[in-house]
Amino acid sequence: MSSINETIKEKTNSISQIRYGCSIGALYTAAAIPGVVPITHCGPGCADKQYLALAFYNGFQGGGYSGGAVPPSVNVSENEVVFGGEDRLRELIESSLKIIDADLFVVLTGCVPDLVGDDVGSVVGEFQDRGVNIVYAETGGFRGNNFTGHELVVKSIIDQYVGNYDGEKEQHSVNVWSLLPFQNTFWRGDLEEIKRVLEGIGLKVNILFGSESEGVSEWKSIPKAQFNLVLSPWLGLETAKHLEKKYNQPFLHIPVVPIGAKETTRFLHEVSDFAGLDKEKVEAFIKKEEKRYYYYLEHFADFYAEWWWGLPAKFAVVGDSAYNLAVTKFLITQLGLIPGKQIITENTPEEYQEAIRNEYKHISDKVSTDVEFIEDGYLILESLRNTDFGHKPPVLFATTWERDVAKELNASIVEIGFPASYEVVLSRSYVGYRGALNLLDKIYTTAISTSA
Amino acid sequence: MAKKKINLKTTVVENREQRLGTIIAWDGKASDLAKESAFSRQGCGGGDGNQCNLCEVRGPFTQGSVCSEQIVGCQAGNVRNSVLVQHSPIGCGAGQVEWNSLFRNGLAQRNLPVESIRILCSNLKESDMVFGGVEKLRNTVQDAWDRYKPEAIFISTSCSTAIIGDDIDGVATEFTEKLKIPVVPLHCEGFRSKHWSTGFDSTQHGILRQIVRKNPKKQEDLVNVINLWGSDIFTPMLGELGLRVNYIVDLATVEQLAQLSEAACTVGFCYTLSSYLAAGLEQEFGVPEIKAPQPYGLVGTDAWIREIGRVTNREEKAEAYIEKSHKKIEKRLNELRKELKGVKGYVATGSAYAHGIIAVLKELGVEVNGSLTFHHDPVYDSGDPKQDSLAHVIDNYGDIPSFSVSNRQQFQFYGLLKRVNPDFIIIRHNGLAPLASRLGIPAAPLGDEHIAVAYDGIINLGETILDLLAHKTFHEDLAQHVKLPYKKWWLDQEDPFILSKEPNIVSQ
Repeated sequence: MSSINETIKEKTNSISQIRYGCSIGALYTAAAIPGVVPITHCGPGCADKQYLALAFYNGFQGGGYSGGAVPPSVNVSENEVVFGGEDRLRELIESSLKIIDADLFVVLTGCVPDLVGDDVGSVVGEFQDRGVNIVYAETGGFRGNNFTGHELVVKSIIDQYVGNYDGEKEQHSVNVWSLLPFQNTFWRGDLEEIKRVLEGIGLKVNILFGSESEGVSEWKSIPKAQFNLVLSPWLGLETAKHLEKKYNQPFLHIPVVPIGAKETTRFLHEVSDFAGLDKEKVEAFIKKEEKRYYYYLEHFADFYAEWWWGLPAKFAVVGDSAYNLAVTKFLITQLGLIPGKQIITENTPEEYQEAIRNEYKHISDKVSTDVEFIEDGYLILESLRNTDFGHKPPVLFATTWERDVAKELNASIVEIGFPASYEVVLSRSYVGYRGALNLLDKIYTTAISTSA
Repeated sequence: MAKKKINLKTTVVENREQRLGTIIAWDGKASDLAKESAFSRQGCGGGDGNQCNLCEVRGPFTQGSVCSEQIVGCQAGNVRNSVLVQHSPIGCGAGQVEWNSLFRNGLAQRNLPVESIRILCSNLKESDMVFGGVEKLRNTVQDAWDRYKPEAIFISTSCSTAIIGDDIDGVATEFTEKLKIPVVPLHCEGFRSKHWSTGFDSTQHGILRQIVRKNPKKQEDLVNVINLWGSDIFTPMLGELGLRVNYIVDLATVEQLAQLSEAACTVGFCYTLSSYLAAGLEQEFGVPEIKAPQPYGLVGTDAWIREIGRVTNREEKAEAYIEKSHKKIEKRLNELRKELKGVKGYVATGSAYAHGIIAVLKELGVEVNGSLTFHHDPVYDSGDPKQDSLAHVIDNYGDIPSFSVSNRQQFQFYGLLKRVNPDFIIIRHNGLAPLASRLGIPAAPLGDEHIAVAYDGIINLGETILDLLAHKTFHEDLAQHVKLPYKKWWLDQEDPFILSKEPNIVSQ
């Protein structure tokens, strides 16, 4: 390949080395809820593309019960473009009810029906009137990415399925809105850990997605919760604001997903203060967790202090804001690594960017750093190339797209986000007390495996 | 037999269903499908695919398929020294993730320098749907040039840009003149063809029109091999005949594409893939396409090698190679036949490829009572009955009683597997193996598409099956612990195609 032109840096509309799916990628929001099956009203390749990108070549998470090749799809052809696809969608839903065993169907639209103007609401409405558990969301790919699609799908399930509620609230119960399922390669293990620590301090937790979710019955109990916890820099805020209005539910927003004992303990204190939990129980849980955590850190210290052949001092993080901020915080405040470059890639809505920047500015008492918002892989590459990582190679916390630049920089790379095509991820978690230890395993196994 | 004419006058490739009468749903005996296709067999219409008597079945229920744009990405996107521009909203760009993985792993398999794939998406938004996206396409093509200085730029269309009517050809022409490199529009919007294999044709159409050298200097020892990312088995094999290999399309350079017109002949590992390009090269540049059975199993490979020998005037070398190869594999082949006796296999792959794999399985003594293809082409572009790959397998190895065309429809696959209860399945493309796994049946995904080709391929596939049967432990355990997403009513249906015959059954 001919040489790269080094001078091209301005942002255009172009996106290379894609970092997210489109709005209809939120079919994996539906598929992340046990028992819920998406129905896609779109072209023949849309669902497969989102599957391969989000759920296959991203940690090889797999489609499970209702992803992969399972979701019914219209597979739009010329006929539906010319004459509209409502009849075809109706026929597909009708037959899906007979064939697919689902607690709830979520119809998602792609670009074609949104362009030709199919009235999907009225088709789905016919089934809702018959008492069928089915909702719809308009998720044409030109409308946004899978982050915004996620909030659309969540809202559609709440408004069209969970419905109104003005009964009692259940004290010490919480709905958790955190990592984006499937987009975040480690969401399953992470949600499990988040649920575990919240239960540990005495909360009843609606985790809503993944193996620990109770499925639609859990979603039905959303309105009863005492509050909503938004545990991410911005994703979930739309939902929480909607729930605040709809169910008169307050929400607590904690932008930093906690990794390691320091941050997780801080996180649990903040939640417990907000929820008014029994302090003794909270402290007892924290004590037990910290004991275990520092047992391992104590042993790890031998390696960290005595390894002869050099460990990286500087780091770069490239990826979604949730993990980007979480990992940056952990590396600086727990390990004492030096920030080199942080790049957030998920097309963060502008209104949230300033607050996120602020988090990096005040990342610890001693350290202040900055963050860039870039989506296009080429510009990310340029930014990394132009970073001064000092006297030795850094460690990159990034994606498969950064494998080439890692070679260029002679750096170690830990794939922590979409797409992670060289990671096989089952229940591995990187957050909380337990996940942090996995992350340490991963970082330093990677760093020293190149030493000989 | 009427020869199909490849029409290179327009930028838009003629769909497979229009050219070849391609279908995506059918169920019956392989021998009936071959007869109704009327390729080499006398069908009702008298031996021309256009007049074949093939009835496609259609039902109300479908699961997600694959689109032509995905295929263009995995073809044009995988040409080295080039850049693919996806003119689309961001969702089509999700394909970059899959193709990057295939590209990187493919490069590594061929011992080429590993690097990330070069694809840019024009990233159209809601306002572009109203005002048009041509300006953004211009930006992105310019970006592709400024960033990489490629030797060619391909532009793929999408459902959205086809509906809003962006003038992609106009931009391609403009930039071909401006940049002095081929800027090639590939029309591949997903809704335009019912089968994704039109995406192969779309890419090959663009290559034929704009990249292949118009004034070729013949290279009498060069053979075009139309393949994907497969391991390099053709170089040693054709080397025995004193021939060199020009691998096309994936992992090829633009120069390798340009010299397609200079070769002595064109071969492939799968007529579904190679049909259009090979026929086009013969029609436009006089590069003969090898018309023979595909190189699978002893009979097919013998005939294929002989035909290459004949066309390239290397008959003696071909005979020597055939004799040597038979001797080389004889012992292990006999052992494998013993070890695989009584084992039942099922093939679920693209069309012509399935015919080849079935031949190898039968050569190994594996029982094949059922198989499916994702689509079926009654004929290929050459129109030559010597390429009737389905008839070849039936004539030489016997009929396949349960032979289905099912376009990645997992709900049908359940019933199809229950019909014949195979010990393993062979697949390409994702979607079906996960269901087989949940039924306790292991699958071999043939990621290296060359694994079963020619003489060594017979042995390779046999060894693969032995490895695979050991995997059964995992799948059988899983089957005990998972629930399928299908209702009992559906799982109890004996006929996986019942909805096509009685569509009202769903509202009963």
